[in-house]
Parts: sequence; structure tokens; C-alpha cells
Amino acid sequence: MHPTKLIRWALRLFRRSLQARYVAASVVLSTIALIAVGGFLSYSIGAGLFSARVQQVLKDSTRAVTEVQSTFSSASATDEATLQSLLNSVIPALESSASSEPRQVALLRSPGQASAQLLQSPISLNLETAMIPEELRAMVRKTPGKLVYQSISLPALDGNHPALVVGAPLDIPVAGSYELYLVYDLKSAQQTLDFVQNTLFFGGLILIFLIGGVAQFVSARLVAPIRITADVARQISEGALDRRVPSKGEDVVAQLAQSFNTMAEGLQNQIDSLSKLSTMQQRFVQDVSHELRTPLTTIKLSVAILEQRKDDLSAASAKQLNTLSGQIQRFERLLVDLLEISRYDANAVVAEFETADINGLVGLAIMNIQPLADSKGSRVIVDIPSGSVEAEVDARRFERILRNLLSNAIEHGESKPIEIRVAASAQAVAVSVTDHGIGMTKAQADHVFDRFWRADPARKRTSGGTGLGLAISIEDANIHGGSLKAYSKPNEGATFRLTIPRKQGMAVGASPLPLGPKRSKKETS
Amino acid sequence: MSQKILVVEDEQALNHSLREFLTGAGYETHGVYDGAAALEAFESFEPDLILLDVMIPVMTGIEVCAKLRETSGVPIIMLTALTDQDDVIVGLEAGADDYIKKPFEPAEFLARIKARLRPLPEPGEVTEFTIGPVVIDVAGHEVRRDGNRVSLTPLEFSLLQTLAEKPKQVFSREMLLEKVWGYQYKADTRLVNVHVQRLRSKIEDDPENPKIVVTERGVGYKAGQA
Repeated sequence: MHPTKLIRWALRLFRRSLQARYVAASVVLSTIALIAVGGFLSYSIGAGLFSARVQQVLKDSTRAVTEVQSTFSSASATDEATLQSLLNSVIPALESSASSEPRQVALLRSPGQASAQLLQSPISLNLETAMIPEELRAMVRKTPGKLVYQSISLPALDGNHPALVVGAPLDIPVAGSYELYLVYDLKSAQQTLDFVQNTLFFGGLILIFLIGGVAQFVSARLVAPIRITADVARQISEGALDRRVPSKGEDVVAQLAQSFNTMAEGLQNQIDSLSKLSTMQQRFVQDVSHELRTPLTTIKLSVAILEQRKDDLSAASAKQLNTLSGQIQRFERLLVDLLEISRYDANAVVAEFETADINGLVGLAIMNIQPLADSKGSRVIVDIPSGSVEAEVDARRFERILRNLLSNAIEHGESKPIEIRVAASAQAVAVSVTDHGIGMTKAQADHVFDRFWRADPARKRTSGGTGLGLAISIEDANIHGGSLKAYSKPNEGATFRLTIPRKQGMAVGASPLPLGPKRSKKETS
Repeated sequence: MSQKILVVEDEQALNHSLREFLTGAGYETHGVYDGAAALEAFESFEPDLILLDVMIPVMTGIEVCAKLRETSGVPIIMLTALTDQDDVIVGLEAGADDYIKKPFEPAEFLARIKARLRPLPEPGEVTEFTIGPVVIDVAGHEVRRDGNRVSLTPLEFSLLQTLAEKPKQVFSREMLLEKVWGYQYKADTRLVNVHVQRLRSKIEDDPENPKIVVTERGVGYKAGQA
């Protein structure tokens, strides 16, 4: 995987997974803790090892110096050859008599003595005079009777070894002042320390992995019930109201599950009883509407019979008959609308879509409304694109929307011209109906699709609308997958804009027609 | 002599009003209140048209309709308060010529009845049409297929005759509703579909693969060239 991709993936995992964050935090924090502890351990073990070694080295050295000094003091050699061989014998004797590891030895004559050097300074095979640091030699000369030591790096076949040089001055009769240096190789101590450090490092590494694993395990155990609860909550919100969280034990997680389940139970009961009530109510409205049909038919026939015999009626009775007939028509419209809206409420509406010419349907709607427009003195101005504008519609319902919008505009248009526009885009067709009547405030416009709502309760209804027209229209628009919106300003009139997709299931996108006046860009719903 | 209408409606007040209204419009009427009585009255009263409510006791309107169609082509108009459209289709498939939903406009109701009682048009210059093996004798109100008489209801006859008179023309469902059923405005086009199916089942060799009443996809129907 590409590194940036990997980082992005990790970041995404981090952002989305509580568990990943928890595990990462555990690992990072325990790494820091382990580095601190490991560093301290490694340091103190190293220091302890070193000081123990130094103690031992000093003890060895003290013994060696004392031995050598006494050897020389007790020797009575005076000739050069004997003295030289005595000096030479010191080296192998000390090399082999070390208590633990082999040491190397140098017996060096102190510089700056008056008498000329008669004897050679013996030195172990692997050692060179230059390896003994000058400052140590100076220290040795300055502090007679005391052991002085210094760490050096000792060249060896397998690289440099850490080593300790211990020095002491020797006073050799006849020969003069000498310095004895014992070089201890600390390789084995270093190896011990390396081993301890390696052990600490790998042990720490394993521990971090273990901690990561434990964190993963623990967080999985902790997160699992939360994840299940979230899952169930999502399912419930999607409508599976009977889903519950399994709960075990008595801990806080179990309490969460129980509380959640209690809440879900309450919610389900509430929704069930509401939907039962709603179904009952819809059923009731449907039954009432249905039961009213037969008596209404009888009443209408009776009126028709009276109308057949109009000549036999007095003028007053004939007038009453007209009123009766008009009111029955209104009653019937109300019944039809109620039935339709109850069908929408019960989700029992099945639309029948066919491809139709919207211009044609608009023309038909205008033709049908013309008598009403004429009676109110409203002119209908049409602005439609040339040719046909095809869209998939339920023609009956689409016509009903247009009829409702037009009759509504005529009713509230105060005899001023009514404008009807059609426009189409690739995805949608829009029809807008504008009147220039008294209009509505924003607050009123928000309620215009409410059932039985009137802008002014005291205002009379002239065209005998049922008060359900726009409520049905918005349902009609919705079943087309479209929208119906209103825009109005007091004393300027109102615009209703219907937008539907050209094909069912298509996304509408932006409406091809503006909602506000003068093609303004601002739209209010 | 005035034409006779049998009113089958279990709601007393509506039954009376229907008859009063039809009497006022110049028809002779007889009223019954259940399905069994309807079948008896059909024999004794010999109506020219039957108004049949769907929801009636003893036998439903749909059963009565199916029973009557076994022997008679008498025009039947269903009265329905049902909002469920499927029941309308069941009624039409049982052989009803037309249906009208309550509450209806009395004027429209009367127009539908008149359309069904309208005498068949006088034969023009041509009195016989032939579509493949089917011969339509307009003067004799008779249809023969390979020489055998086929029993059609007046509505089916009118439908077939309308198509046969203009063999090259495709009739939309709306045109047929206007010409055959007498509708003045857009109505339920399924009326046409159901009756075309019934007609085909009587005159076609293979109703699934019609040769005499042919469907023009997206337009309507026309007489076959066979």
C-alpha cells in the first residue's frame, strides 16, 4: 500500500474506531513507561556491575602490588642481569595469578630520574606503552602509596574492549622508580551488561505486544455491548421496533442494556398505540364517508325528482330547492375530498403513471376553469414553452392539482389576471400559478397546505372550496415524487409552484421555475 | 310503450327514489331488494335494462350478473358504493355493461341509461361486414363465425360494429367510450379493456393472440385485416 494511503487508512480507523484509539493509547503509554523503567534498570545494573568489578580489580591489584613490592624489597640483586630477569619475571607471574580473568601487566620506569636507564621496562605481549594514558601515569607518580585507575578502550582482535588500568608506583632498589600497571579486560562484564540490556529490550518489546493484545481484548469486551446497543438503536430507528439488546449480569453495561430496552419498549408501545389509533381513525373516516354515499345518492335523486316537478312548486319552494341542490353539491365535494385524503392517510393511494403532455393538461385545466374565471372576471394568462412537454404523471391527480391551484388563484385573485407558467429542464417539469390578489404573510403561507385552514376565518368562501384542496394537492404532488411550494406577500398576491420529475424515480434537482416574483433568485418555501 | 327498468337495490329509500326519478323520466320501473328476487323479476317483468347494486342480500350483484349473462344480453348497469376499484373490474368481468359510482349526478345517471337503451343505429348502405371468419349482419343484429351464430350482448355487438364500420381506423379507448357507452367526457378506460376481452373470448380463435379485434399498442383497438 502507498504510504500516504496507509496513513489515511490509519487516520480513518483512528477516527472511526474507539477501540483502535484505546489500543493505541495503551501501547504508547506503556512504551513510554517501559522505556523509563528499562532505562533506569539498565543504568543501575550497569553501574552496579561496574562498581563490583572495580572493587574486585582494586583488591586484586592491591594484593599484586604488595606482592611485587615485597619481592623487590627482599631481593638483594645488584647486578643488571639479575635485576632485569627479576623484572621480567614479574610480568608472567602477575598475568597468571589474577583471581578471575587474565590481566595484562606493564612495569614502566618513571621518566625524569637522574640515573640513566639501565634496564628495559617489561610489558605483556598484547600491551603497548602508548596504551597507558599519560594522565594516569602522572596521577600515579603524584600519589605514591595509592592505587589509581582509569577506564580505557583496549584494542583486541574482535574490536576494542572496555578495560580498566590500575596503576601503582614501585620503588625498586638500584633500578629506581617504576610504575606497575595492571590492565583488566572488562569484556565479560560488558557482555553481561549487554545480555541484561538485550533481555530488557526484548522483554519490553514482548511486554508491549502483550499489553497491546490485552488492550485489544479488554476494549473489545468493553466496546462490544456498546456496539451491539448502537446497532440495535439503528435498527429500531429504521423501523424494527421489536429489536432489543441482550443483557447479562448486573454491571453498568447490563444496566445500559436494560435501560435501553426499557426505553425501546416504551417507544414501541407508544408508536404501536399511536399507529393503532391512527389506523382506527382512518378506517373510521373511510367508513363514515362510505356510509354517507347511499343516503347522499338518495338525497340527490330526491332533489332531481323535485326538479323534474319544478313547475308544481311555488317560487319560494323553488328557491329553497336551488339552495338545497347547491349545498348538496358542496357536501358531496367535501365527502369526495375527505375520502381522498383518508385514502392518502391510509397509504392506500396507488398512482397510475402514464407519459402525458403537460402543456395539454394545462390547456385542459384552463378550459375547465374558464367558466369560473369568467364569472369572477379573472383573465388567465398562459406562458408555456412551444411544443409538447412530456412527463410521467397520474393524469387525473395532475389535473386535480392544476384545478385546485387555478380555482384557489381565482378565488383569492380579486379579479386580477392569473398567470400560469410551464417550464421544463432535463429532469423536471414545473407549473406555477400566480395571482395578484390580497396575498398572505409568511406565517399564513406556512399554513396554506393545512387541512381546513383559512387565512382569514371571517372571510367568506365564494367558490365553495372544501378547505382540503391544497392539502390534497400537496399529497398529489408528493405521490409524483415532486413538490408543491407557496410564496406570497401581502397585497401582492401568491405563487404556487408544482415541480415533478419527468420520469418516475428521477431526482428533481432545481425547479425549472422560480418561486418568488420577478424571477428573483431568493426562494422561500 | 315505455321501456322497462328493473331496479335491484336493498336500500329502501334509494330504491324508491330511483324508481320515482326514472318514472319521472318516462320509464316503467319495478323494484326488488335482493339477488334472488332480481332473478325472478327478470323472468316475470322482462326488463329492458337492469340497475344492479353490488352489495345486496342473498346473492351479490356480481353473482346475479354472472347468472343473467348465462342466458341474456340484457343491458346491466352496476351501482356501487365501493371505493375499491378491483370490485368494479370483477363486476365488469361478470358481464355488466357499465357501472356508476354512488353518489352520482342524476343527469349523468340518466344519460348512461339512455345510452344503454338507445336502439342500435339503423343500418347504413352496407348492412354486412366481414372480418376474417366473422360476419356481422347489421340488419339482422346477428354475428356469425364460420356460419355459426355467436350470441353477443347488445353492447358487444355495438362495439364490434363500431370497429367493423371503419376497418382502417384505430379507435382510442376514449373514442370507444364515447361512441359505444355514450360518455361525454373522460371515464374509466378499463370498461373498454374488459369488454374487448369478453368480446374476444366469444369471437376469436385464440383470445390470447387476437386476429379480429387487434390492439394497437399505446393507441387503442381496430378491426383486424384477416
